[in-house]
Amino acid sequence: MIGTLIYGLTIGGILYIISIGLSLTFGTMRIVNFAHAFVYALGAYLLITAFRKMGLSFLAAAGFGVLAVLPVAYVIEAYVIRRLYGESLDYAIIATYAVLLIGVDLIKWVWGASPISLNDPIGKDVEILGVSLPVYRLVIITLAFVIYGGLYLFFRKTIVGKIVIAGLDDKDAVRSLGIDVDRYFSIVFLLGSGLAALGGVLYAPITSVHPYMGFQILLLCFAVVIVGGMGSLHGTFLSAFALGMVISLTGRFWGPAAETMVFVVMAVVLIFKPIDV
Amino acid sequence: MKSPILSVESVDLAYGKAQVLHGVSLSVEPGEMVFIAGRNGAGKTTLLRTIAGFLPRAAGTVRYEGKDLGTVRPESVARSGIRYVAQDKRVFGKLTVRENIEIAAHVSGERVQEAVDRIVATYPPMEKFLDGSAGSLSGGQRQILLIGRALVGSPKLLLVDEPTEGLAAGTIEDIFRLLDGMKGRLSFLIVEQNLPVIARLADRVYLMKEGKIDRELATREEIEAPDSVERYL
Ligand SMILES: Nc1ncnc2c1ncn2[C@@H]1O[C@H](COP(=O)(O)OP(=O)(O)OP(=O)(O)O)[C@@H](O)[C@H]1O
Ligand SMILES: [Mg+2]
Repeated sequence: MIGTLIYGLTIGGILYIISIGLSLTFGTMRIVNFAHAFVYALGAYLLITAFRKMGLSFLAAAGFGVLAVLPVAYVIEAYVIRRLYGESLDYAIIATYAVLLIGVDLIKWVWGASPISLNDPIGKDVEILGVSLPVYRLVIITLAFVIYGGLYLFFRKTIVGKIVIAGLDDKDAVRSLGIDVDRYFSIVFLLGSGLAALGGVLYAPITSVHPYMGFQILLLCFAVVIVGGMGSLHGTFLSAFALGMVISLTGRFWGPAAETMVFVVMAVVLIFKPIDV
Repeated sequence: MKSPILSVESVDLAYGKAQVLHGVSLSVEPGEMVFIAGRNGAGKTTLLRTIAGFLPRAAGTVRYEGKDLGTVRPESVARSGIRYVAQDKRVFGKLTVRENIEIAAHVSGERVQEAVDRIVATYPPMEKFLDGSAGSLSGGQRQILLIGRALVGSPKLLLVDEPTEGLAAGTIEDIFRLLDGMKGRLSFLIVEQNLPVIARLADRVYLMKEGKIDRELATREEIEAPDSVERYL
């Protein structure tokens, strides 16, 4: 049982780290960003290149994966996302979906289509209440909590974060104070992209890295964001862990239904709490 | 004659195909407090938002300190010294009162504490709300925060949209005192429907009707004449 719990928290932690950017991009820019899934997969692939080909340690390669994604995210933001401001929601979905498809082809072209797997970078277990658990998973869970705390401080205590909170609330009012609020939204976009890449990096040793990994996670992240409330920091956190637990609990009793159950939960939430898009 | 701080010349504005402003011209002299009055839908808010840089003009020019504002964006308009306080009385409700002021101080470089002290000096009751959520302020307190926030960084021209709308009589008096206390220190263009407030504060009044300036009241006699403003409300 404790194994199931830890697995649920691990999945929840990873879902949180990836979903937060999706949620913030929707909250700040009103854009449903499918390209987020490409950034996530790219992070994992860059990790593999840095780890396998460049011979870096896992930690350094992970850092490389996260940082090297930022220029790519910047280009996506400057040339695609920023041009979609004020356009209708479906237009943005089509454009960012196109970026995702191009990105997937790019990955296949550079790294090939066959799945790559990585070993657990720590490779040690600890025993908790008589159950032996991979340390790596505990690290992921801890990291998710640290990121949650870090983002909380960022949005509560830094002026950049406060401007973003104000901009989420009333963008025009921030602009009438002379603040170019879109620049701050761009910073948040990069932050969210870096976290998506981190999610890819962290998940790589647990699952297998393949060009379509983004599609699979994207649907789950949409569920997280919809259940948690678009643009809600706390909601995303709670809903990621709740859905992580749904996946691990369902998986324990009936494996094939694990991810389907997430969408059942999402549908139930949608019935009782319609979102206003 | 002094040159006006703001001059709006023959401005047309349309939302899609619906033209809302038709050849609007007006001016504000340095230190002057000018009011705009007119019925619902006359185009008052549209005019202020156009000056503030939120809406693209179809024709005409807006000059600030003699310079054509062209097609600049609201943040540049604000940085040139104009502040716009919207009609909706929305503050940044998830932040504290102090943080609302902090954001205003961010661009201007004014020290936050100085700005806070100034607002508290003009409206002492604000002191006890400084670290509380701005979202829980009353309507009048919000308006005072909005005007106080707009004054951070010493702008030269304030555009205010219906500052007393929907407020209780006592609160209107607070807003009146706040505006009266600043009179002459900077220029104002205020949309207002409250007759006594206009009569007590206005240097000049523009009366708007159906997207046009229908009449200008330039003297105290004209402003205070019975029925002069009232006919437009
Ligand atoms: N975003 C918009 N799109 C289309 N039409 C608009 C928009 N905003 C305002 N209008 C129309 O423009 C006209 C002028 O509106 P505006 O808000 O400027 O009037 P107002 O004088 O400020 O009225 P009020 O006293 O109610 O605030 C109205 O007919 C309104 O319906
Ligand atoms: Mg109005």
